[in-house]
Amino acid sequence: MKLAKYTKFREEKFGGVLFETRSEKVYSLNASAAAIVREAVPGIGEDEIIERVTRRFSSPGNDIASEARLFLADLRQKGLLED
Amino acid sequence: MTPRASDQPGPETQASTAAATESADLRAPLYVAWQVTNECNLACLHCIEESGPGKAFRDELNDAEVFGVLEQLMDGDVPYLSFSGGEPMLHGKFFEMIEYVCGRGGQLKIETNGHYLTHENCARLAQLEVKAVQVSLDGASRETFNRMRVRGDFDCTIEGIKRLREAGVPVEINFSPTRFNMHEIGAAVDLANELGAYSFYTGKTMYTGNAVKTWKLLAPTDDQYSTFFATLHTKTDEYRGRMRVYFHEMGLLEELRYRLRHPAALLIVLPNGLVKLLNALPFVCGDFRRQPLSEIWANFRRGWEDPRVTSFVEDLAVDSGKTSGLHKWVYL
Repeated sequence: MKLAKYTKFREEKFGGVLFETRSEKVYSLNASAAAIVREAVPGIGEDEIIERVTRRFSSPGNDIASEARLFLADLRQKGLLED
Repeated sequence: MTPRASDQPGPETQASTAAATESADLRAPLYVAWQVTNECNLACLHCIEESGPGKAFRDELNDAEVFGVLEQLMDGDVPYLSFSGGEPMLHGKFFEMIEYVCGRGGQLKIETNGHYLTHENCARLAQLEVKAVQVSLDGASRETFNRMRVRGDFDCTIEGIKRLREAGVPVEINFSPTRFNMHEIGAAVDLANELGAYSFYTGKTMYTGNAVKTWKLLAPTDDQYSTFFATLHTKTDEYRGRMRVYFHEMGLLEELRYRLRHPAALLIVLPNGLVKLLNALPFVCGDFRRQPLSEIWANFRRGWEDPRVTSFVEDLAVDSGKTSGLHKWVYL
C-alpha cells in the first residue's frame, strides 16, 4: 500500500495534510491519522501498517487496529492510497 | 484519538480544494502559482497580467535566483506548483525548472497558450511527468479564439493539445468568457472532452490588465452570464465521471470577502520574485530576492489581517473599477 500517484503528504503541527493534486482536493488529518499515513508513505503492506500503528497507539479500550483499517479503506476509496 | 481525514472537526470525511484550504495552521503554502515570465507571444484582449511580446519585466529573476527560489520551495515541502506567465514556455530555463521540481518529487502544472506544444516538447513534458498542462482555449471556433487571442491561432492550439494527449500528458482546459465567445461555452466543453481533457475550468473575466482597455468589447451582460452558467451546470452533469467541469459563479467582490475570512494556502509569485496576496489584489507580501520562504509565509498570513486589505475589498463594493490598478503594487 502506498500513496497514489497524484497524492502528496505533509506533516503539520496539528497532524498532516493529504493533497490530491489531480482534483486539487486537500484533506486535513488529525495526529493519529497522520501517523497512519506516515507509515504508508514508504509503501508497505496494510497488515504491517496496522501492526506498527497498534504498537504505537494501542491502549486499553482502544481498538486502534479496527479504526486504522477503516481509515485506510476510506483513503483507498477516495483514491489517495493504492495497492 | 480516532484517525480522521477532514477539513472540519467532526465525524465526516470531507475535502476542500487547495485554493480553499486555510493557511492559518500550515507551516508552508500548499500551492505556489509562479508567473515565471511576463513575456508572451500573444497579446490577448483580456490578459490580466498585461503580458505580450516585449513585455518581460526588466527585473525578472535571473537563472540563479530562479533555482534558489525553487530550492527553497522544495526544501519547504511545498507539494504543488504551477508555472504560468506570460507564456512560461518562453522562459529560457523552462524545462530545467520542470526537471528540478519533478526530480525532487514536487507536482507541477504548466499553464500555457499552447503555441509551443511541438512533438518534441510534449514528449519531454511526458517524460518529466508534469501533473498536467492547462491550455487556454477561449472558444470553440477559429473566429472567436483568434479574435480574443491576438496573434494566436486556434488550429495551432488544437494541434498542440492533440500532441499532448498523444504523448500521454494529462490536459486541462481553461476558458475565459467574453460577450463574443460565451455563446460557445457548451461547444467548448464538448471540444475539451473530445480532445481528451480531464478538467475544464472557467469563471468570470476580471476587469484588470488588458481587459481595462478592451472592456467594452469584452464585458458580458448579466443575462449572458446567466445563460453561460446554466449551460455549465448542464455540462457538469453531462460529463460527470468523465471530465470535471469547474466554474466559479461568485463575483470578485464576494470571492474577496470570502478570502478575507478564509485566506488560501496559496502564494502568487511574480516574475521578479515579488509575492502577492492574490492575483485580484494589489498587495505584495514578500520578495524572494530579499526574504526566505518562512518570512514570506508569515507576512502572507499577517497580510490578510492588514486593514488596508480589508478597506480595499470593501471599497470595491462602491467602486468596482478599483481592480483596474492591480499592477500598482502596494507593499504590506
